[in-house]
Amino acid sequence: MHQILKPVAPEQENRPLFQVESLSYCYPDGTQALNGINLQVHAGDRIALVGHNGSGKTTLVKQLCGLLHSDEGSVTYKGEPLSGAHLARARLEIGLLFQDPDDQLFGNSLYDDVAFGPRNQGQSEIEVDLAVRQALKAVDLEELMFKPPHALSYGQKKRAALAGLLAMRPSLLILDELTANLDPAQEQIFIDLLKNYQGTLILISHDLIFLYELCERALVLDRGRVHHDYPLKELVEHRPSLREHGLDFSFRFAESRQHTEQVDVERRQGAKKAEPAELVGQNAATLVDMRALAYRYPDGTQALNVIDLAISPGERLALVGENGAGKSTLLMCLLGILPFTGRYHFAGTKIVPGKGRAVWQNTGMVFQDCADQLVCSSCYDEVAFAPRQYGVAEAEIKVLVKNALKRVKLDGFDERVPLHLSGGERKRLALASVLSLQPQLLILDEPTAGLDPQGGELLLNILREIDATLILVSHDIFFVRELTERTLVMHNGQIALDYSTKDFFADKNLTSLNGLDFTYRDQCALQIRALQHLHEHTHPHKHHHEHSHVHAELTHQHPHEHEHEHDHSYGHRHNETGAHQHSIQSEYHHHEHPGHDQDDHDHRH
Amino acid sequence: MSGTLQISSLWLLPLLLLPLAVYSGFRVLSGIARKEQGGEDRDWSVPQIEYEGGTTSPVHRWDVRFKLASFLLLAFLVVSLQHPQTALVALIMALFGYRVAAIPWRRGLKRLLGMAGFLSMFLLMLPLTAVRQSTDLVLVFGSIDWLSFNLRGLDLAMLIILRAATVALLMEPLLATAPLPVTLAGLTRMGVPRRLTELLLITHRYLYVFLHEARRMQIGMDVRGFRKSTSLATLRSVGNYVGMLFVRSFERTERVHAAMLARGYQGFWPQPISLHVTPADYLKACGVIGLGLLLVICDQFLVGRF
Amino acid sequence: MHISDGVLPTAVALGTSAVSAGILLWSLRRTPADDLPKVAVLTSAFFVASLIHLPFGPTSVHLLIPGLVGALLGPSAFLAIALGLVLQCLLFQFGGLTALGANLLMIGLPALLAGLVFYHFKGRTKKQRILVGALCGGGATFFSALILALLLASGGEDFIGVAKLALIAHIPVVLIEAGVSGMVISFLLKVKPELLDIPFVLKEKA
Repeated sequence: MHQILKPVAPEQENRPLFQVESLSYCYPDGTQALNGINLQVHAGDRIALVGHNGSGKTTLVKQLCGLLHSDEGSVTYKGEPLSGAHLARARLEIGLLFQDPDDQLFGNSLYDDVAFGPRNQGQSEIEVDLAVRQALKAVDLEELMFKPPHALSYGQKKRAALAGLLAMRPSLLILDELTANLDPAQEQIFIDLLKNYQGTLILISHDLIFLYELCERALVLDRGRVHHDYPLKELVEHRPSLREHGLDFSFRFAESRQHTEQVDVERRQGAKKAEPAELVGQNAATLVDMRALAYRYPDGTQALNVIDLAISPGERLALVGENGAGKSTLLMCLLGILPFTGRYHFAGTKIVPGKGRAVWQNTGMVFQDCADQLVCSSCYDEVAFAPRQYGVAEAEIKVLVKNALKRVKLDGFDERVPLHLSGGERKRLALASVLSLQPQLLILDEPTAGLDPQGGELLLNILREIDATLILVSHDIFFVRELTERTLVMHNGQIALDYSTKDFFADKNLTSLNGLDFTYRDQCALQIRALQHLHEHTHPHKHHHEHSHVHAELTHQHPHEHEHEHDHSYGHRHNETGAHQHSIQSEYHHHEHPGHDQDDHDHRH
Repeated sequence: MSGTLQISSLWLLPLLLLPLAVYSGFRVLSGIARKEQGGEDRDWSVPQIEYEGGTTSPVHRWDVRFKLASFLLLAFLVVSLQHPQTALVALIMALFGYRVAAIPWRRGLKRLLGMAGFLSMFLLMLPLTAVRQSTDLVLVFGSIDWLSFNLRGLDLAMLIILRAATVALLMEPLLATAPLPVTLAGLTRMGVPRRLTELLLITHRYLYVFLHEARRMQIGMDVRGFRKSTSLATLRSVGNYVGMLFVRSFERTERVHAAMLARGYQGFWPQPISLHVTPADYLKACGVIGLGLLLVICDQFLVGRF
Repeated sequence: MHISDGVLPTAVALGTSAVSAGILLWSLRRTPADDLPKVAVLTSAFFVASLIHLPFGPTSVHLLIPGLVGALLGPSAFLAIALGLVLQCLLFQFGGLTALGANLLMIGLPALLAGLVFYHFKGRTKKQRILVGALCGGGATFFSALILALLLASGGEDFIGVAKLALIAHIPVVLIEAGVSGMVISFLLKVKPELLDIPFVLKEKA
């Protein structure tokens, strides 16, 4: 069965698979995406390609597949430059997975799509058929073989896209953000699959825990340069470099719990103050009141089944469950968009399916993909969109926009174009665009998907400050713990469990309910944290940098090298006896060096 | 029968109700078409060119090239019929063919409704605006002399509707009895440039992606309070919305192209569909085209004499 | 509005089909082979955009966007519109099988013309460019309506009344189309102006 995971032509030779030499690439609009990249990839390498959003990771892998061509530098694959017939051959041996599976599934049925690669390889129909069946079996999608891609769920599409690559039996797999937005169970399918994969592997991801499972070598890109190229373990252990590249997810560890509780108290007091007097009717005490709510898909599948849900103002709750458990459907019913059956009151008003205006006026919904939400040509218009629809006066809107932008730390972004912002900024803008209406209820659908950890940390801090009833839909267990006090576990279109977030974390039986092991990632995180046990050291080392030198009257500037000693933070691990060992530090490194230019300078010029 | 029939102007009343009747009939029927699908939430959801598998009717077993050629020719023959009587016979035959192909009726109903708006324009306008000829029977309402109801115009409208409905009903047996890629492969073998059929497949696939994208964007705007009206603000928002749809599609275009190249696309789509011709294919083709020709001949000679 | 089956005289249906097929082949040749899949993906987006309904007083009209397709795709616009119409016919029965050629001429020709105008009269300022875009959008729709009326009238003098009605019914569409085209052009100028510089498919050569 695992034959599909074995490349057709395993590499025996010693020469590198890829040899990249002083490669630079500039996009037509002038952005310097890659700058002097030198790199060797050997057969069998398992590389984690990491770095900030926009550091050039995707551009680099496109170069490796010959999808972009550069005038400066060279890329050779198996010793030959990527062009002409060699490029065509190389593409059939390299499997490249894009972030959005819809980009990759261009066939009208799964079968046709997965067969696309093998057919291009010139295999006979019998071989193609075998390859397709094996690949679909490997990702557990056999029974959907003849479905059109648009009938699949997101996770299934992602798996189908990978099957399309596996069917070609590639000797190199390059996977861009494979696990973003997936539930733990689907993530596990990929991890198992890739652990058994025998070719060369390059993974792009912000998810250090996922990378830690699968990769040995870390390649850190920063502003188009290779910043580090060393074993992944070292990167994970070395917190300062993680932080530098926006990968530090240490904020995810439980240490800040105290802070949250404090905010909780403040917020509850705030909520009490804001106890809306204008709410009328007998349901005034509950914001959302659903009784026996149900929804059936057009094809007859029961998507939601007898949902009873009451949410009080000021409550913060999490909605968790596997992909396809009905979380998004519940949200769409909550917004009054889908034609549900049953009784639903929002703040005392009866909501009729398809007419959710009463809900919308008091609700802010941040979508999983902010591209679905950002439709204006400037940030100001974007945030002003909702107030304008409700006829708020322009002068008042100005204040609302300013406040909303300030709350999400996007001050001064008024005239920027939303489409040109980075992923994290766009997410925050989407948040601002719903905050401008000062909603009672804030709904966040997978807010952390695709954010680098630094962006996640910023978002978390912003969300902590927001005073509204909150519904958080997420696989990100850390956000659930930090932001909510009540957790709903959904399964098969029903609310299977409804208890406090604390109980949720203590619940050992969850795995048996829906096969999701939420604690797994927590354990991994703690494991990495154990590696990161920080402390300070003094350590002599050489230092290479550029700064101004003051020699009596003469001041000049040039890079130079000298040896000195100073404090460093080090991550390290302890063995059973308590002794510890440091990761190897490079003899050379960059760091801030205040006042250095005033030091004695005795060197030749 | 010809001449002018003077009737009471009270008859105008039911005539005025006609548009209303047409409209409400349309609503009821589209309600049924939707209900049978299990309650679609938005009316702009696209039906799929689905392969109605599971059944093997004679139409399913027909070689796709012969099927395409026969139906296309038949469609042109049907639209050249000149009398409502023969067109009615054609419609009954199309219904029979539809039954043979064993396809759910609601799909045909949806197709008929797709044309309803355009065709009702003829039904309502032609009797009132058809040019009066000496052989026409015209209804005049009392003393209102600027308005007359020309029965020949009504005949003409009926003819058009019958022809259109017949061709629409032919479409389902033509398309739903084979998967789309097979139908398009058939077109390629018949001389349609291969590139065109490949592009159709890609367009068909991404249609659904953009539909979902557009729908999510619309929900995003709705939830933020957007309500369409006849105003400049609506125009601006819709302009932004369409513009954003285009920008996203341009970006996706580039990514899809890259993904295709990365999987070894070299300018053509592998289409390993093999087609086999049997004597039955010829027989069916002869039968269908023969029927069509027979109809046209009847139309020309028989009906003309009456 | 699409012409359905059974309206046009057979000779007109056949004639327009032949002419359309000719122009379609020309358009296919003018599109670089590399860009063909891109045109297909974009067509899906245009298709979706054409399903958008806008209220106009008590009624609502849906977008046709021939002007925008022409401005963005240049000579490939005809190909894109052909793909879109075939699918509309296959999926919805909007525009009949035998009337495909006529419908293609009706929407494709104005799109080509709008593309030509938009490409050659750029205007110096942003405002002028938006104005040109709006005129292209409205003009192309008006041109479409005119062709529709002519095609309907080809059925004989009985159809002249219907043709007039169709022309009048398109007045709100022309207005809305002009407005939306202008807004879309203004949006694209701010967000992704490079899309408007050279028609997409000519980019490789330039």
